[in-house]
Amino acid sequence: MINFKNSSPIDFTIPENLTNFANVLTAVNQLIDSEISVKPIVQGEKHISSNVYSRLDCNNGKQVIAQVHFANKELTTTAIKKLKEFLPTWQKTSLSERANILRRTAKLMQENQMELSALIVRETGKNWYEADRDVVEAIDFCNYYAELALESLAPFITQVLPGENNTYFYEPVGLAVVISPWNFPLAIPCGMLVAALVAGNVAILKPAEQSSLIAQKLVEILFQAGLPTEALAFLPGDGEEIGPLLLESSDVNLICFTGSLAVGQKILSACSKINPEQTFIKRCILELGGKNAIIVDEDADLDEAIKGILYSAFAYSGQKCSACSRVITIGSAHQALMDRLIPAAKDLLIGLSFQSKSFVGPVIDHEAQTRLLKLIEANTKLHSLKYKSNVPSEGTFVPVTIFECQDTNSDLWQQEIFGPVLAIKQAKSLAEAISLANGTKFGLTAGLYSRSPSNIAKVSADIRVGNFYINRACTGAIVGRQPFGGFKLSGIGSKAGGPDYLKQFVVPKVITENTMRRGFSPD
Amino acid sequence: MTQESTINSNNKIRDFGREIFTLIGSSQPSAFQKNFINSKLLAWTLNEPDFKNSLFRLVDVLPTLKTADSVGKHISEYLSESAGKINPLLKYFFKLPSYNFIPAIISKIAVRTSIKQMSKVFIAGENPQAALPALKKLYSQGLTYTVDLLGEYSVSDQESLAYLSRYQEALTVIAQEAPGWKKNFKTDPNHLGLVQNCNISVKLTALYSQTSILNLDQSVEILSARLKEIALEALRLGSGIYVDAEDTAHNPIIYATFKKVFSDPELAELKFPGVVLQAYAKHSEELLVDLLDWAKDNKRPIAIRLVKGAYWDQENAGAAQNYWKSPLFQIKAESDLNYERLSCLLIDNIEHCYPAFGSHNVRSLSQICCYAEEKGISKNLFELQMLYGMAQPIALAFASKGYLVRLYVPLGEILPGMGYLVRRLLENTSNDSFLRHTFYDQKNVDHLLEDPAITLNKLNQVRL
Repeated sequence: MINFKNSSPIDFTIPENLTNFANVLTAVNQLIDSEISVKPIVQGEKHISSNVYSRLDCNNGKQVIAQVHFANKELTTTAIKKLKEFLPTWQKTSLSERANILRRTAKLMQENQMELSALIVRETGKNWYEADRDVVEAIDFCNYYAELALESLAPFITQVLPGENNTYFYEPVGLAVVISPWNFPLAIPCGMLVAALVAGNVAILKPAEQSSLIAQKLVEILFQAGLPTEALAFLPGDGEEIGPLLLESSDVNLICFTGSLAVGQKILSACSKINPEQTFIKRCILELGGKNAIIVDEDADLDEAIKGILYSAFAYSGQKCSACSRVITIGSAHQALMDRLIPAAKDLLIGLSFQSKSFVGPVIDHEAQTRLLKLIEANTKLHSLKYKSNVPSEGTFVPVTIFECQDTNSDLWQQEIFGPVLAIKQAKSLAEAISLANGTKFGLTAGLYSRSPSNIAKVSADIRVGNFYINRACTGAIVGRQPFGGFKLSGIGSKAGGPDYLKQFVVPKVITENTMRRGFSPD
Repeated sequence: MTQESTINSNNKIRDFGREIFTLIGSSQPSAFQKNFINSKLLAWTLNEPDFKNSLFRLVDVLPTLKTADSVGKHISEYLSESAGKINPLLKYFFKLPSYNFIPAIISKIAVRTSIKQMSKVFIAGENPQAALPALKKLYSQGLTYTVDLLGEYSVSDQESLAYLSRYQEALTVIAQEAPGWKKNFKTDPNHLGLVQNCNISVKLTALYSQTSILNLDQSVEILSARLKEIALEALRLGSGIYVDAEDTAHNPIIYATFKKVFSDPELAELKFPGVVLQAYAKHSEELLVDLLDWAKDNKRPIAIRLVKGAYWDQENAGAAQNYWKSPLFQIKAESDLNYERLSCLLIDNIEHCYPAFGSHNVRSLSQICCYAEEKGISKNLFELQMLYGMAQPIALAFASKGYLVRLYVPLGEILPGMGYLVRRLLENTSNDSFLRHTFYDQKNVDHLLEDPAITLNKLNQVRL
């Protein structure tokens, strides 16, 4: 057991926390009004670019949150070269010093917990609660990996024997490229990045363009915490332009990615190619999508099930890889659930992310909105629409939508949607429910509401997912407590925030030395 | 207080408490009575914590089950011994046939009947009409009541509004009948203008499905509008009203709503609107001072029910999971001590409030009765409250000494009432339960009447 304690989320039941958070949001709004720009950082230097992307506020689709300067190929090439030069230095920096940088990063984030949350609220449209949990997760990743590194990456003697020393060491893999999504704009890049760095790798962070501002903040905090500026390059950019370079370079040793299955497949094929000058096998860590189901048993406590389903499916508009997009009801639970779930969904508060009361906010951008609205439209013809909410006319909102699924081979049932769209299907038996739940290519999270010990045991044994939740929501994994990640086509990586995670960022080396001299052992 | 006066007052409280115990004599509350169907089972659960957990989980799920098969399956899963055999006591409890294995033949009806009978001890009826005889009986015993409608959680506004209309229905049904019932009160509950055609306790947050601290303003606004509807009905029918306490996270919403509604001039004639304070919360004194200040400033005397607190596990688990400090006192004696402190504060402010002391703890109640007497406060300026089905002998003992005792009477169907029933069963059997110590463990009377300050001191010494 490592010496780790989770950080506390903001307790909004304390009235002054509500007031403080509102004040911090006002301050952040002023900051945004002052026209912030995000720029690539290489060797600690910010670089401007002619290719500038305007991140728009998803709450109104108009206001510019930040002007993001995109890194070009030339800067990317320079960054790779310079990082490689620094690798031997960083690798020799002691493990405890590297771990201390993580601890200081955690502390700085903790000191700015509300400011960071407020930035997330503005840049990515998360509500207060979700944004704060994002920051807490980032803090937890830093503290957890710091302790885990000290415990699990330190050299050790394999066997104590006279006349021979056998020592097991871990070396970094080399240069790691971290490609992060916008949906956990601080926690996910932070977790992947600090894991790579604490293991002694140099790294490039290429964030999703929609969340470049908070990613830049993360990089600044890391440098403030003492990370050498030569160890990390920040390359916001267009995937089309710099992506191939990052994936195919013979100097990149590891690609750490969280995002869609489609991009994951591209990364996997890039890793499989060995360039003529390349002298190593490129490694990748992929955390991909989910098509997560919650099963509702006939004996379920529906008060709890409805609360958990609505939260899992619609919090942050369903834009979480762990989100529940399918509900499978067993027998008589179906009608009982539908009768209460639909009216409950109608009452969810949909609104601007910076208003504390909003439960469902906008989706990430106009492109996502258009895609989701089309998808809902198309599925309305194929399945039975049970509920579709109204939404504010401004901003990139998508209605909270519930379908009863008519065909389990359909895209609605099989493909990741990443939006506030839930499909419900009735099963005749527990066995059928399990088979429906397992019947997709994904295996990330799942949930079960049941009060039968034997049914709980049966589903626990047979469900094919990385994280299975009983009688609670299927999102919201906590670092160290619920190490998170899936298998099947949901990922090949070990669980983030778990004991095996860091081992993916190192290569082990064993050194054996014969210590006998002329028949004498020094022991 | 000086040491000498503490000893003197403790002696007085002890003598008062001994008298109460003498009046209680050998009578037992229903839940502990020999003929109560689960008395043997209860005895057993008290000594077997694992069994107790399983049993309560079973009781929690049973009302949801629709077929005999699934009832049998659950009983066997929760309570069978390793070989799949059913404990003989369970067979007795559920009146099961004497087979060793639980088959589908178990009569669904038998099990339902058992649970229903058990729930009848704590729940007066499935609807207001059905509860009338039980309420009438309380009057004849010299006790009064406040009615609570079971329904633990509203997931939608449709459910919230249904809940609201159930309150209106309950008020109408009871307030029509109750004035005609024979009352045997030894004190006059109407002396303050508290007309007692009915009295209801409202679980506030169930009146709006999106109640949340992050939705504070809207929650207070909507809950106020709905509470006002109930309060206007209460006023029209000459009924009293309490707004119940919930977990401390909801305090800002509950107290803001209470103040908003009862500042409304339309409700000015509703005397002593009631609110509840839980002494197990560390900031309860602050809350009480605030409520009393509000009553003073607005010249609006209020009823305040002081209780120990009912959401212990939930609040502590929530705090632990988030690494927040628990908002509650962690040692039972600290809560008891705080309860006594706040009781005195209420008596000291009697011109601004009508206090109700909700507890089954004879020491806590004796302390406040003695303190009031010492301050020359007459018995009909405050009241004692207890839960229906939990402590009748104690209630009757205090009533016979001229105190007004009000029972908190839940109404409703078993399914939504399950949360309530399970909480009551857990309370009855918890290691800290005063009732358990009194009626089951039969602890020494003087031990039961010990000053919590002394208990706490002893505990601290053990720690040193």
